[in-house]
Amino acid sequence: MKKIIAVLLALCLSAGMLAGCGSKGDTGSGTAGSAGTEAGKETAAGSGDSGNTQSAGKKTFVFGDTTFNAENEEPNVNPHNAYAGWACIRYGVGETLFRINDSMELEPWIASSYERIDDLTWKIAIKDSVCFSNGKACDAAAVKACLEDLIEVHGRARGDLMIDSIEADGLDLTIKTSVPAPSLLNYLSEPYGCIIDMEAGITEDGIVVGTGPYVAVELVTDDHLNLVKNENYWDGGVKIDEITVRTISDGDTLALALQSGEIDAAYGMAYASYPLFENDNYTFSGTQTSRSFYCQMNFTSPVIQDDAVREAVAMGINKEGFVNTLLNGYGYVGKGAFPDTIAFGGSTLTAKAYDPEGAKAVLEEAGWVDSDGDGIREKDGQKLAIRWLSYPSRQELPLLAESAQATLKEIGIQVDLNVTADHNNIAKDQSAWDIYVGANVNCGLGDPANFFSTHCLDASTKNRGSYHSDKIEELAVRLNSTFDTEERNQTAIQMQQQLLDDNAFVFCSFLRMSMISKSNVTGLAAHPCDFYELTADLDIN
Amino acid sequence: MSKAVTVRAQKLRRDNTKLRLYIFLVLVAALLLAALFSMRLAPYDPYLQNLDEAMQPPSASHIMGTDQHGRDMFSRVLVGGRTSIFATLALVAVISVFGTVVGTLCGYYGGRVDSVVMRISDVCLAFPGLVFAMAVAALLNGGIGNAVLALAVVSWPKYSRVARSQTLAVKAEDFVSAAKLAGSSSAQVILRHILPNILGPVLVTAMLDIGTMMMELAGLSFLGLGAVPPTAEWGNMMSTGRSMLQMYPWVVLSPGIGIFISVVLFNLLGDTVRDYMDPRNSRSG
Repeated sequence: MKKIIAVLLALCLSAGMLAGCGSKGDTGSGTAGSAGTEAGKETAAGSGDSGNTQSAGKKTFVFGDTTFNAENEEPNVNPHNAYAGWACIRYGVGETLFRINDSMELEPWIASSYERIDDLTWKIAIKDSVCFSNGKACDAAAVKACLEDLIEVHGRARGDLMIDSIEADGLDLTIKTSVPAPSLLNYLSEPYGCIIDMEAGITEDGIVVGTGPYVAVELVTDDHLNLVKNENYWDGGVKIDEITVRTISDGDTLALALQSGEIDAAYGMAYASYPLFENDNYTFSGTQTSRSFYCQMNFTSPVIQDDAVREAVAMGINKEGFVNTLLNGYGYVGKGAFPDTIAFGGSTLTAKAYDPEGAKAVLEEAGWVDSDGDGIREKDGQKLAIRWLSYPSRQELPLLAESAQATLKEIGIQVDLNVTADHNNIAKDQSAWDIYVGANVNCGLGDPANFFSTHCLDASTKNRGSYHSDKIEELAVRLNSTFDTEERNQTAIQMQQQLLDDNAFVFCSFLRMSMISKSNVTGLAAHPCDFYELTADLDIN
Repeated sequence: MSKAVTVRAQKLRRDNTKLRLYIFLVLVAALLLAALFSMRLAPYDPYLQNLDEAMQPPSASHIMGTDQHGRDMFSRVLVGGRTSIFATLALVAVISVFGTVVGTLCGYYGGRVDSVVMRISDVCLAFPGLVFAMAVAALLNGGIGNAVLALAVVSWPKYSRVARSQTLAVKAEDFVSAAKLAGSSSAQVILRHILPNILGPVLVTAMLDIGTMMMELAGLSFLGLGAVPPTAEWGNMMSTGRSMLQMYPWVVLSPGIGIFISVVLFNLLGDTVRDYMDPRNSRSG
């Protein structure tokens, strides 16, 4: 009897499991093959929320985002708080004096024009028409109040902007900096530079009054943000009446939410889920960003100090395979610190290509040979082993780590992975790692200076491996004091080439930022600098 | 008449149990051998990447398909089995030995130490096992070794409870008193008279625990608190394949089948061992 029960139970279990697989399989094939299933589901889901969309003639839009959370230092939409300015500008609450266009060049936004009086003085004119969502005019005095609060409470902004004093006169704003600041206008375009009404203040939840097309009305950190149309928007009509931004930190949940129709568009989808949406029911908007996935060498580590080892590592990472296969082609192979499309980008640089045979030869010549036949090279009795430090919160990094581990092993380098959320602490201990692999937006503001000053100089906070080059130091001084764009671009190119010649960095790839929306959504376009998302163009039909 | 039928039925059941025991022992032995020699049995190097062959569905050359790095899933499931199964066996061995020793000593000597140790084990038992293990594993950082340690920390009280209650029962038996009167030392009494008599229930508990522990270990790895990539381990393989469930189900199902088969086998073996050692079965013959 017991045996029969056991067998029955086992059968039930297997049946349950197979049934589970079956339905999953169906979904998969339905998506890949017959659009019918998918369309049916769409309609069903659509009728659910089209009730929302149509009721009382209101248009509503639900956006799912993996990054809008406290973990990413974006707990709310207050631009004067850590990185929350990203949420403020992304969801159309705030706008900055200048903005960065699709070719990563500056153009006026709230400002109408600017003039550089001398190396330390800038005069910025504000547009006459701009007003806050509460109807109050956004004049120079309001901007001054906002920027003064910003540099008082926000350390990073204070260090970037180097503002000495601000004067306001009607619509004219005069900013004096304490040192020549060629990148001032770029930094004013950083999300922290969103202009908010300081008189209206900042609520306890971190809600602010900005000049953007949408007004934040309710916010629960790590859960959702409710926005309504800004009736007073200065730059044309806004089409969507209500928007909900939902924080969905898990990529799989996000995919399911979009499939079920719970959300209308998504940001931060896992690459492996992309094929689910590559059909007529969804629209992809993608663009190359300057978020680079890079390796940074630790020059205090004896094995990394060996020029041949660094060169071999640079030649032993299969960047094309990583981008084309592991990222499903949603990325761009990197050469220098900046994307090829930018004026000071990688197109003129010479970087090492993936060349396992060449890498083997380089190591061979430097005396690294595999004498004990275990596939790993040795020199003076020491194994060629490299400790690879990276972190999992960017989904690309663990993939890169495993891919590099395999390709470097082929050329005789053993790679010990440490992919951990604790990477920042471990990176401080230079004896604990050899190569740090991370992701960084290298020129989100259309200006090259920031990457070098944060990563490559003796005084840089993120020069984790104590890299030093006299030439880079010298060029950095020139870069930081030159106002001429062409000369700045040339300097930035020279600096990148130096980094590549020293094999101090390996720039593996650049992120292709993608937003996926239902096909009835229009006006949702990915932007190269990653922080313009919901605009007045957004519409749902 | 009815007595004869009952006796025959009992004998039949006992023979049945024995047969089942042999069958499951052979199957489990086969599983263990497969895990032990997985590196040789695997048709491909489980860590060899070949991006040109990424995400291939099951076919003649890759019977379980390939993953996103182009690694052969079947080879990875085999080698992953070694990690999962032997880590589980090590875990169960450690907790059953430790728990039994502690439980026996507490039960035999009693007193204050007994109270303190039992209260500690009560505290451990008061938490939901996996949640407590997650907390401990998170403190210890990742790695399969640390995951085993975390589960060991939360799972030993079960054995100490069983061993203690059995010891208390056996301690009151006449033969123990006789042994004491005959001048045996405490160590002798424990080793010769108590341990052999309480091993049965402990063994059954351990056998039945293997499946549970395998699931929990895989669970910790799934949550990123156990084995770290690229180590082939079932829970971890399922976790990395999670986002591919809809498009490439074989990446998740292959390690899932591995877990399913081994957990079912170990549980059936555990059940059979329990039936076999059931006094009602052995005495009535």
